[in-house]
Amino acid sequence: MGKRTKIITAILGFGLLIVIGVAYYMFNMPQRDVQSAKTDFSLSSSEIVNQYLADANIANEKYLQEEGDSKILAVTGKVFAISEDLNNQKVILLKDSSEKAGVSCTFTKETNKNAENLQIGETITIKGVIRSGAGFDEDLDLYEDVIMEKCDVIRE
Amino acid sequence: MKKLVLTTVVLTVFALTAFKPIANKLISKDTHISFYSHTAIEDITANNYKVVSTIDTSTGDVVYSVPMQSFEFEKAMMQKHYNSKKFLDTKKFPKAKFTGKISNINDVDFNKDGSYEVQVAGDLTIKGETQALNEKATITVEAGKVTLDSKMNIVLANFGVTFSGGKPSTNIAKEIEVTLKAVYGKE
Repeated sequence: MGKRTKIITAILGFGLLIVIGVAYYMFNMPQRDVQSAKTDFSLSSSEIVNQYLADANIANEKYLQEEGDSKILAVTGKVFAISEDLNNQKVILLKDSSEKAGVSCTFTKETNKNAENLQIGETITIKGVIRSGAGFDEDLDLYEDVIMEKCDVIRE
Repeated sequence: MKKLVLTTVVLTVFALTAFKPIANKLISKDTHISFYSHTAIEDITANNYKVVSTIDTSTGDVVYSVPMQSFEFEKAMMQKHYNSKKFLDTKKFPKAKFTGKISNINDVDFNKDGSYEVQVAGDLTIKGETQALNEKATITVEAGKVTLDSKMNIVLANFGVTFSGGKPSTNIAKEIEVTLKAVYGKE
């Protein structure tokens, strides 16, 4: 084998390794860490709810992202209800009693403990990723809340 | 005499309104929908805990509203694919919905503990495409708590989700298994 062939083989081999490496990384890329990512919008629970009730299409355009990595919000509001979902994650509903809908914030196994000592009526700020907006659903005959997930309480 | 007529009218109106059918709506925000896709190459599972559902215990009407971006996958790449324009296009269609009726709702005694097999028929809308669905479900009443469980298979192509080539066409099953659980409470 000539020197030249050896070098070409080495370069090709190296290139192939990089391609495999990148493909492997892409395939196993971890989920976005919402809490350490930058907050896109800071607003109150009434503000986001009212933007959705005014025009859901405009609000979806603003907050939802095509590949699912939607906007990260810091929402300030009053704790209206505290519950737990079927995955044992805490769910805090931020809602003003005068509003028709609120912001339903699902915590994670890691952040659950920060939701434990919250009191109904307390005003807090929760950071999370928006999954869907608020609106009146005729079939349910109910107002649906804005949905946020991967939430945690943030302190200024 | 006038007084008697008035009293009768008032009483009748009162009696009629008092005995009008009471809205028997059960609401669930405590839900779990998962789907499972099996191929020889890989198994894919996604979970969603943010579905809202109602059951009218007198008419049998059932509704499920599913926020599509709440499906969580093991791998970020799968989640991106799933949400993208090519597949579920969740930005344009953020919610899927099922509206239907439990045909044998009268077989279910919501005041008595037990497990009841029910038949649910209705329309499922995903990505703007509506398909008729007819599935079995189980309603369990236990200590005043009502739970509905169901399992069904959904053919993705029926909802305009098709894979013409590449990895998705080999790694994602044409028919996926959907498992549903919802725990209901009073309004």
